[in-house]
Amino acid sequence: MAAEFEPRIVAFLCKWCSSAGADLAGVSRMEYPPNVIPIQVMCSGSVSPLYVFSALSHGADGVLVSGCHPGDCHYIKGNYYARRRLALVKKLLEYIGLEPQRFQMSWVSATEGVKFSQLIYDLVKELKPLGPQTKFRRNY
Amino acid sequence: MVSLDQLKEEVKKALSSGKVKYFIGYENIGSGWQVRPAFIRQPEDVDRLVWTPACFHNLVRFLHDEKRRRAREKNPDIRPVGLVVKGCDSRSINVLLQEKYIERNDVYIIGVSCELTGVINITKLNQHLNGLKPQKVLFGSKGTFKVIVDDREIEIEAPDILADRCLECPANFPVIADVILGEEIKRNPGNRYQSISAYEKMALDERWSFWQQQFSRCLRCYACRSVCPMCYCDECVADSIAYAVTAETTADEKAQKTRWVERNPELSENIFYHLVRAIHLAGRCVDCGECERVCPVEIPLRLLNKKMEKEAKELFGYEVGFDPAQPPLIACFRDNDPQDFIR
Repeated sequence: MAAEFEPRIVAFLCKWCSSAGADLAGVSRMEYPPNVIPIQVMCSGSVSPLYVFSALSHGADGVLVSGCHPGDCHYIKGNYYARRRLALVKKLLEYIGLEPQRFQMSWVSATEGVKFSQLIYDLVKELKPLGPQTKFRRNY
Repeated sequence: MVSLDQLKEEVKKALSSGKVKYFIGYENIGSGWQVRPAFIRQPEDVDRLVWTPACFHNLVRFLHDEKRRRAREKNPDIRPVGLVVKGCDSRSINVLLQEKYIERNDVYIIGVSCELTGVINITKLNQHLNGLKPQKVLFGSKGTFKVIVDDREIEIEAPDILADRCLECPANFPVIADVILGEEIKRNPGNRYQSISAYEKMALDERWSFWQQQFSRCLRCYACRSVCPMCYCDECVADSIAYAVTAETTADEKAQKTRWVERNPELSENIFYHLVRAIHLAGRCVDCGECERVCPVEIPLRLLNKKMEKEAKELFGYEVGFDPAQPPLIACFRDNDPQDFIR
């Protein structure tokens, strides 16, 4: 029997909120699928579109960028910049023909362990039927 | 109607008074109708200048060379450089001013109005003439082009052979200039995002197969980057050999540089390159259409940039190139920026 497809999700989590939120989910022993590869960044505003494209070209099936809720950014306004920039990235990726589910953004605060684990459940559920991401993947 | 004599007169005045260092305009290639950029250094050379519908080049691009030359020279001549600009070119000057790449007094601008016409698309012209060779292409009166073929004159309605970008131009009149020639006549562009609407309506897979075909042709000759008035970085993040290397750069540093995009023209790398370029031009591209014109494999690059322009306008109410004082698109935000895509 062929094993079920397990998507690999690269998650860029901001150090001050989302990373702590993911940590809280772990410390509170909440279960969530092991498909996510967390990468801690200092701020969601520091996530360059290059990171997203690079993750996709290295074969990520989905990319998640997560930061503090608007108004809660440790650097005051980093997540506002991220919101604007990544909105453009999302529109561009969809325009090129990438499934919109493959690039997601969320606000997860340090206290929202439950939200984080639920988010990963949802992402995995959405990405499973899409199958592997081959459009942007390097294949040489 | 823009008078060529007036243009020559203005250039002559600026050159002979020593106000400008040199002047960049357009000249005919040989005795043909095609046009190339002309560098006028002496007042007596102004007779080389022309103004025809084939003046599609965006001369703002030469300001990058000028800036680099100044940085290299010990005692640079800091007089402004003269430029002939169209509406779209003037907007790219505005973006360079906005980014503080140049100062306003680094450049002496003679703006020419496109009036009811614009510049032509050579492919469309050839299709229209159906194999005939044009001898001269000139502006006609009231929104027409005058093409001289075999010593007879053909009048062509402007929209028939106008470049795509001119059909969607938001302002066919220079928005920043020291001297303006020609009348300010608004041409109604209709739907400014006409060209991309068909692609937006396509299904996801159709869109992907379209872009896959386009990008797999890319040779990565970087002509689009070279001709772009906005691509002025000394070091291009999407090109692993365009590193700014100085005498102090160690071999180790060169070896450790992050290679975001590999050099081989594979589909995945081409997509990466073009996406990075589209994102870097978001909110900066003035839609001068030069990248698409120079592309040797005819990738419709304008469609990417136009999409970003449209999203900037629709999501953030951002207009490119009209106000040199406004902050760049992704260096500012509003509290109520849309966030319905965020969970």
